Amino acid sequence: MTLDNPQRRVFCAAAGAGAVAVLGSRLSLADDPAQGQMLPTGPGAGLSLVPARWYKAKDAKRIECGLCPRACRVADRERGTCGVRENRDGKYYTLVHSRPCVVHLDPIEKKPFFHVLPGQSALSLAAPGCNLECKFCQNWEIAQVRPEQVPTTDASPGAIVELARHHDAPTIACTYSEPVVWSEYVYDIAAAAKPMGIRTLLVSNGFIQTKPMTELLHVLGAVKIDLKAFTEDFYRNQCRGQLQPVLDTLRLLAKKRTWTEIVVLVIPSLNDSEREIRRLARFVHDEMGPEVPLHLTRFHPSYRLTNVPSTPVKTLDLARHVAMDEGLHFVYVGNVLGHPGNHTYCPGCNLMVIRRLGISVVQSRLDRGRCPSCHRAIPGIWS
Amino acid sequence: MTIDQERRRTLKCLAALAGIGLGAAHADCNPRRLGRASGGSTVACARREKIVPSASGMVDSALLASMLGSAVARSVGTASPEEAFRKLFRPTDVVGIKVNTLAGRGLSSRPEVVAQLVTWLGKARIPAERIVIWDRSDRELSAAGFHLNRASSGVRCFGTNDDYEWTPREWGAGASCFAGVLVRELTALINVGVLKDHDLAGISAGMKNLYGVIHNPNKYHDNGCSPYVAHLAAHPLIRDKLRLTVIDGLVAQCHGGPARSPRWSWDFGGVLVSRDPVAVDAVAYKIIEDRRRQQGLRSLVQEGREPKWIAEAAGLGLGESRLGRIEMVKA
Repeated sequence: MTLDNPQRRVFCAAAGAGAVAVLGSRLSLADDPAQGQMLPTGPGAGLSLVPARWYKAKDAKRIECGLCPRACRVADRERGTCGVRENRDGKYYTLVHSRPCVVHLDPIEKKPFFHVLPGQSALSLAAPGCNLECKFCQNWEIAQVRPEQVPTTDASPGAIVELARHHDAPTIACTYSEPVVWSEYVYDIAAAAKPMGIRTLLVSNGFIQTKPMTELLHVLGAVKIDLKAFTEDFYRNQCRGQLQPVLDTLRLLAKKRTWTEIVVLVIPSLNDSEREIRRLARFVHDEMGPEVPLHLTRFHPSYRLTNVPSTPVKTLDLARHVAMDEGLHFVYVGNVLGHPGNHTYCPGCNLMVIRRLGISVVQSRLDRGRCPSCHRAIPGIWS
Repeated sequence: MTIDQERRRTLKCLAALAGIGLGAAHADCNPRRLGRASGGSTVACARREKIVPSASGMVDSALLASMLGSAVARSVGTASPEEAFRKLFRPTDVVGIKVNTLAGRGLSSRPEVVAQLVTWLGKARIPAERIVIWDRSDRELSAAGFHLNRASSGVRCFGTNDDYEWTPREWGAGASCFAGVLVRELTALINVGVLKDHDLAGISAGMKNLYGVIHNPNKYHDNGCSPYVAHLAAHPLIRDKLRLTVIDGLVAQCHGGPARSPRWSWDFGGVLVSRDPVAVDAVAYKIIEDRRRQQGLRSLVQEGREPKWIAEAAGLGLGESRLGRIEMVKA
């Protein structure tokens, strides 16, 4: 998780007060009487108990989770690694369906999606939990906890869609924590939103099995994947995960022609070597295509990784240069305000077609998805 | 947190550790000497055939007091449990009794066992207000038969619920926020686990029960909980406070844990008590393996569920894992 951080300390204070945080936006959902009955909540407001969709029953009331590559074997009364799915008497349940801990109206660029409806807002939500344990997690207060430990509220998929409509948000983003571990909720939101013309965006680590991901893609509008690094060592030592399943997810997204953007949080000394960035960029180019946007974002010390300094801007400059040298057309620099890599340039004539200041769109020159100068198509979802 | 803040915190921890060491020198509560104070690791096992008649499930409280008292005294090397508790605890201590209530009534730490420990704490001149019975959640405690009490008077009994500290601490292979009550208040711990099988950890007896003091135990069940159980038990917040481990084996379970499985539970009719948290788990492991063999089950080793973390804890200096070097006493 990189740019997509709802001002963590402020968020935590709001969450601790029992409110669903809506920060940094022009609207205050919490003050909206039309939504007031659904938003207030508090700690211990309860767990949902909705049957999980992706698991296999095993002997002696055990189950094997079929959602993420961990394939947790879970005994009766126990939970998977994510902490939000529980075996009760041999049946597996999600405890967080319709129980978000954050509902927030963000610029879509904050996810970051730079090629999806620029300048529009995304109703962004999270339920607790994650299937990785990244030492640099920026939202660990909601991602690395069990659902009892954060305030949540009741919000059915239909209520989320209504909230998006009410605020004229053309997208709903499942984000902040790890939506893979609340995939049932994601699916139901997306299925309810799609007929209403609202796209659902998945902001994920991509650590998911092929079957659930394939099913989710039937209803999702676009996907952003946090590619943590390009080595198994990094995934094992920094995230307690694996790289290969994430690469499989990226290949699947390309095969299904789902609009995908990729974020890499560049961390000094851990994943910032020229060789690694080059291999990563080559993978994206060869397996997904040169038009897939790659966001290289700046690391700041966080959670357990406090002994590593922030990423120097020159490291990001070099990484961007390397990725473009490998043939990628849209390589961005994130978390650096005013950097030339914040903008979108036409690969045909190098005209700046979208000018941004951080995550705000200052000017868009796109003409029906094309460069106004050379008329080259700029890939993305523009309407 | 900046590097400077981290350094300050480390210095504070070192200072605190030094303080604990000096303070403990006045009583026989120094955690570094636990279990091996008299040159060996002693595990006392008390069994009484009729302690839990299967038909009623009720505990004979007089018999329980006698057998548990005998085990406590033998494990500490005193003439009586009262004397043992006076040796283990100072009147100024705030004592937490960490129970295990995940499986509900029937396979949790029994309230009767805990009540007896509270009685002896009282006789060690520890006021009721400085005794806390706790586990992960109010819900699980209630379901296991404990009466919640968050009032300022009397023995307190409550679940951590969402009261964890705000900043995670590193503990070897993991990082967690610890239960607020442990961090803020408790100066001494009694760990009351249950003699039972655990599907991933192999067994859940003493040290595994300490997963209940962190906010994210779900993250540390892979690889048979190795080395996580050992690393967590070695954290100063636990290692320096743990004075006694009591394993409730009135009813035990050799397979199908950690949830209750009547098919695999049996009336072991006993308790294990030790000041050595590693030795008591080593003995618990042997008891469960012996029972599994009697029942025709494959061993935990054969099932790939050997609790490797017991030897790992010994490797960290937390106690003795080799049965040949553990003094087993019948009480």
